[in-house]
Amino acid sequence: MEPSELERFEAIVLPHLDAAYTLARYLTRNDHDAQDVVQDAYLRALKYFGGFRGEGGAAESSAARAWVLAIVRNTAHTWRRRHRADALATEFDEELHSEAVAGDHPAAALDRDTTRESVRQALDRLSPEFREVIVLRELEGLSYKEISDVTGAPVGTVMSRLARARGRLREALAVGEEGR
Amino acid sequence: MTHRELELQLDAYVDGELAPAEARELEAHLKECGECARLHEARVALSAAIRGQVPAFRAPDALRNRVRAAVRAAAGAAGAPLSRWVVTPVARRWLAVAASLAVVAVGSWRLALGRAGAEALAGQVLASHVRSLMPGHLADVVSSDQHTVKPWFNGKLDFSPPVYDFAGRGFPLLGGRLDYLGGRPVAALVYGRRQHLINVFLWPAVGGGPVGAATTTRQGYHLLHWTTPEYVYWVVSDLGMSELRDFAGLLRQADSTSAPAP
Repeated sequence: MEPSELERFEAIVLPHLDAAYTLARYLTRNDHDAQDVVQDAYLRALKYFGGFRGEGGAAESSAARAWVLAIVRNTAHTWRRRHRADALATEFDEELHSEAVAGDHPAAALDRDTTRESVRQALDRLSPEFREVIVLRELEGLSYKEISDVTGAPVGTVMSRLARARGRLREALAVGEEGR
Repeated sequence: MTHRELELQLDAYVDGELAPAEARELEAHLKECGECARLHEARVALSAAIRGQVPAFRAPDALRNRVRAAVRAAAGAAGAPLSRWVVTPVARRWLAVAASLAVVAVGSWRLALGRAGAEALAGQVLASHVRSLMPGHLADVVSSDQHTVKPWFNGKLDFSPPVYDFAGRGFPLLGGRLDYLGGRPVAALVYGRRQHLINVFLWPAVGGGPVGAATTTRQGYHLLHWTTPEYVYWVVSDLGMSELRDFAGLLRQADSTSAPAP
């Protein structure tokens, strides 16, 4: 790769690392796997960067964000399928899992904050297809069209998934408030 | 308009996705209809609650460093296959060099102290560094706590490597892993410096006295190595040489102050 191309990649794609990590974090539901998914996705993004053509300016920035989030999303889904196959094949590895906890990101403390648990837990219980539309819309502020590009689902499907996912979260919120 | 249609439209309205004409129509309706106005309020409150209770994360600094280093390493090895199972051309070249020299070096550890051995070892150290930047290869134990990293090596090596954290001096400990260099398992410790990663390889010194620091630069990476009475050290990074020297100075100082009294 030409040095100027690497510079362009670093200027256009690297700034979306927080968004990439947030999506990966909610899709994998843990810090350790989210980090692996993001690194893997960024190396894939680098490989296919030649195929990404932005026009510069703010439009390029949001196009790059949707583009890199689509790669993160696909990497996370591949990870999930592989992970599920592994889970069937291997026993729980005490050492491996306790180390994953030792490497917890400080933000994990937030996860354990009980006042935040109801909607968070409800989100974690949703299927990944519902979880990702909530993260992409509510946290990342993507348009329906961008969410459609990222997930590969038609805009109509994006809308109905959003409505169903929000319905579940609304129920969780109602329960959380009754408990207060 | 059915209730469900209205809800979908309300979603699109709150998400700013409704066409202007439809949005004006909906707004007019919300002024007229108390029930729909309450639905609208509830819908806005739900989004606020989700944003309030579901945090967007900031990527950890360690990840930021890893990604930047991995991207640079992959971009440097032009057209490199990016799968973790495939060694990059740079690493492959060094592995080939290391392998051909390893044949010479078999059973002759003493050779590693010689110039040819050090050259071969430098190739292996660089290959290991580049490999460690690939996904999932950086650390087997991810922790900034030296009291977590050091005991992790128990039972995995025939020595207990000294582990220090220099976070206070701008070189935070990121973790450790097992590696294999010069025909033996060695300890690899990973430190960060801004966007840069530093690998420290060490194993027990065999014979010979302490050797002062020597430096080499290969493929844009800087390597430093020295020998204390107890350990052989190799340090490698894309960090500038002067900062890498500062880091080596911290390590050597920590080693000399924590070494058992003779």
